[in-house]
Amino acid sequence: MEIAYFLGCIMNNRYPGVEKATRKLFEALDIELKDMEGASCCPAPGVFGSFDEETWATIAARNLTIAEDMGADIMTECNGCFGSLFECNHMLKENDEKREKINANLAEIGREFKGTTNVKHFAQILRDDVGFEKLASLIEKPLDLNVAVHYGCHFLKPTEEIGIEDQAENPSILDDLVEITGAKSVDYKDKMMCCGAGGGLRARDLDVTTSFTKEKLDHMTEAGVDAIVNVCPFCHMQFDQGQTEVNERYGTDFALPVFHLAQLFGLAMGLSAEELTFDAQKIDATPAIKKALGENAK
Amino acid sequence: MKIRGVFSMSIINRLKTLFKGDNEESDINNDVSNTSDDVQVTSSKKIEVSISKKTTVARDSAHDLTFKKDIEPLEDPVEETVEKVPETVEDASEEIVEEVKAEEIPAETEEVEEEVSVEAEAEEDVEEVEKDSKNKDTERDKMTLLTDKELLTDSNRDPDFTAEFIDAGIETVKHCFQCGTCSGSCPSGRRTPYKVRQIVRKCLLGLKEEVITDDALWMCTTCYTCQERCLRSVKIVEIIKKARNIAAHAGYMAKPHKMTGVFVINTGHAVPINDAAKALRTKIGLPEVPPTTHAYPEALEEVQKLCKITAFDELIGYDEATGGLKE
Repeated sequence: MEIAYFLGCIMNNRYPGVEKATRKLFEALDIELKDMEGASCCPAPGVFGSFDEETWATIAARNLTIAEDMGADIMTECNGCFGSLFECNHMLKENDEKREKINANLAEIGREFKGTTNVKHFAQILRDDVGFEKLASLIEKPLDLNVAVHYGCHFLKPTEEIGIEDQAENPSILDDLVEITGAKSVDYKDKMMCCGAGGGLRARDLDVTTSFTKEKLDHMTEAGVDAIVNVCPFCHMQFDQGQTEVNERYGTDFALPVFHLAQLFGLAMGLSAEELTFDAQKIDATPAIKKALGENAK
Repeated sequence: MKIRGVFSMSIINRLKTLFKGDNEESDINNDVSNTSDDVQVTSSKKIEVSISKKTTVARDSAHDLTFKKDIEPLEDPVEETVEKVPETVEDASEEIVEEVKAEEIPAETEEVEEEVSVEAEAEEDVEEVEKDSKNKDTERDKMTLLTDKELLTDSNRDPDFTAEFIDAGIETVKHCFQCGTCSGSCPSGRRTPYKVRQIVRKCLLGLKEEVITDDALWMCTTCYTCQERCLRSVKIVEIIKKARNIAAHAGYMAKPHKMTGVFVINTGHAVPINDAAKALRTKIGLPEVPPTTHAYPEALEEVQKLCKITAFDELIGYDEATGGLKE
């Protein structure tokens, strides 16, 4: 099996440990991740999608054509990239008028959208293409960790388009995947709420964004978790860097380390905190990692 | 036109009642009942009349009537109306003037006459008829989104604005029945002035300026909670994004958003690589630079060309010479 691996921006340019963990995981799963050479930003739905749909669709379609040329389906492990690429792919497959318009733009750089690729989310591939059993076989040592799962918004929604089998308002896909690692997914108030970063809000109004994040952190902390697990580098950044911004603004002392699902699997497969670039994250993950690996007892 | 005439008549009738006092009550009631279901004059007292730009007639009725004129202009209103009016009304009209003169408020009398004729000629857009509220609670019980200061007329509406949503394939904007499930579900609405239900309504009504000039339009994180819960399957997030597109093209763009666009034009990435990330990547055995536009200059040129073709560079005011914004 081959997959066109879409990197996006934040993961590879800020949290490369997520990329490292993903490459290791898929190596172990015997799935080849092929680089989408020359891929760009998805582009960011909050700015490009909100400013000019045509530009948004044109740049997204260019990325899609790279995978089409490779003859592979796309995997992304960012909800924002997933939202942009999936939505554009869906739109251009369904709407001939828009497809013609976008293809006229792409023709100027010698490309054409053909509609021959599918866009899949990392978590979707793990559950639907790999399967829980095979994933479980990779776990070296089950993690002892209570986590708050954050789904993010552009993963299962809008349900009428996305079609990942689950219930967007009461989902289980990520909780199930988390629990394969041995970690326990702890329910918390308003679990499906947005982190606050999306739609261009983080760039435009950090006060409002941090207000969202504080509410999430309050609820996660009340539930008594050791860490946050997400499947979106933008949410990841919001919970990591954003958590320090919350603490500055509100005088709080939140200290919930942030794991991308790929990092959680990486940890369970024996990768070190350094390889997973936890040392570069704002919120110290050392206590959570020690607990997860049972090193506190030693 | 008929409705207009009818309404003018009701005004005359009520003015008549006011100035004449209790005696004419039953006659007027008969006249009015033939003309409008909404207007029921049950006045049994002499009530104060205050005349301003808008004629305000106080009365006891529990109804609070707001008349909005979106009817064809009237060409020959007064004569026609008066012709249809029973003789008693003509008499009464004269009596109004007489009564007023008797009470020695000439200035106001002139205004009354002027106002009535202006009204009849259909030059006033809006007429308000409201009660002198004895019970303020009834004010609060009004089931309307409009307040007196927010009366909307056709002149406020831009049908082309609404058409943009329909043309973009968001026909579901028309399906909204204003239940408010969206606003009740909205995490942004809990902490900002962002009122998603109201924006959807304004988009349907064509209140373009109100929508695109409002900063709150940008408080949506596109979390889709509203859209998932919408009982009418309205594509709410699409509506918001379309409204933002229109706002952006009208020049309403935040600088930080433009800068994100600048980053993509300059590097292909909204969040470009930096030295710290390069060092991290190298340290964990990944290529220093990822195999994206960062590693393929010709790929970056493609992105830049596409941004020119769609005029995105102009839209955000990108300055090719400096690689920044023009301002």
